[in-house]
Amino acid sequence: MAVEQVLADVRAMLTEIIGAEYALSLDIGMDTSFDADLELESIEFVKLSTMLAERYGDRVNFVAFLATKELDEIIDMTVGEVVTYIATCSALAGAIDG
Amino acid sequence: MAEIVARGVRFHVQRLTPRHSPRHPEHPVVFIHGLGMDNLSSFYYTLANPVAHAGAEVILYDLRGHGLSERPPTGYQVQDSVADLTALLDALAIDGPVHIIGNSYGGIVALGFAVAHPHRVASMVLIEAHFSVAGWAEQITAEKSTIDTALAGNPLRGWLDQFGRKVTRLMDMADDLLNHTTFLADLKAVQPIPMSRLRTLTCPVRAIYGEHSDVVDYARELDEYLPHCVLTVLAGCGHSVLMDATPALREIVLDWFGTQLPSGVR
Repeated sequence: MAVEQVLADVRAMLTEIIGAEYALSLDIGMDTSFDADLELESIEFVKLSTMLAERYGDRVNFVAFLATKELDEIIDMTVGEVVTYIATCSALAGAIDG
Repeated sequence: MAEIVARGVRFHVQRLTPRHSPRHPEHPVVFIHGLGMDNLSSFYYTLANPVAHAGAEVILYDLRGHGLSERPPTGYQVQDSVADLTALLDALAIDGPVHIIGNSYGGIVALGFAVAHPHRVASMVLIEAHFSVAGWAEQITAEKSTIDTALAGNPLRGWLDQFGRKVTRLMDMADDLLNHTTFLADLKAVQPIPMSRLRTLTCPVRAIYGEHSDVVDYARELDEYLPHCVLTVLAGCGHSVLMDATPALREIVLDWFGTQLPSGVR
């Protein structure tokens, strides 16, 4: 349940970042790659992380999440990896607020 | 997304804060990226999050005309970049010393800021730093011709079909910066920082260059003009040290601040 909700949030944020016209041509799911599939610019990924931080606040520690990853790991990340991390953090911190 | 208006320009700023306290190092760490296609993400992806996770308050920003910051028509000389940094720190109410980590052009901004405001710099980490930008404008002009030719024969809409979204956006940004601002003219007008003023710097300086970099000669000059500088030349690396030798750089930077990542992270 939490995973589906987070995925919906992330999908909405990505649509805002890359534009509805381009996003509609893609089916953004857990296996979608930020780089290869979405062609997200690295600065746009920073924007996404800001939006996620604003949405989930202290429940999610992106600094710790990204500090554990090498450059190529960040570039190769899928939507599912971010969603799973958020869902795990959120589950630990309690139920997700609406 | 944090936006801060300084000198009438809207800047994209990211502040990363550690979960634990006290802060270490005590003073904030400011990252300054390179010119052209670069933006704060190159540090965000490599050093900024580890430094924040190790205990520092981190500040990253996109230079004017770059990344998600505003792209005004003018103001691309080094003294503008130094004034922008000064105004940004003022806007953030940071008037005490900061550590600065500058990559490439970011290094010359760091040096310029330190020369202008020595009391506001706790230390500097200079990665592939320039002292002057001599020759850059000519190099970028050549690249501009390539871009102009490509765009003339194939408008951006065609690029989208042929090369995809990311390349098209980068070309669009480059086209705007090179053809609709004073970026190139300003770059040609930049004067190198006088060596006599560099010699006055007393803050600790850590410098890293790539063995095969086209600016590695600056390493020797830095050694000469700032004898207290701690210098490392990384074997096998070119100018893209930040991307090509991220783990080594991370170790150097964390060691510089006397910090390490929380146990279990790496």
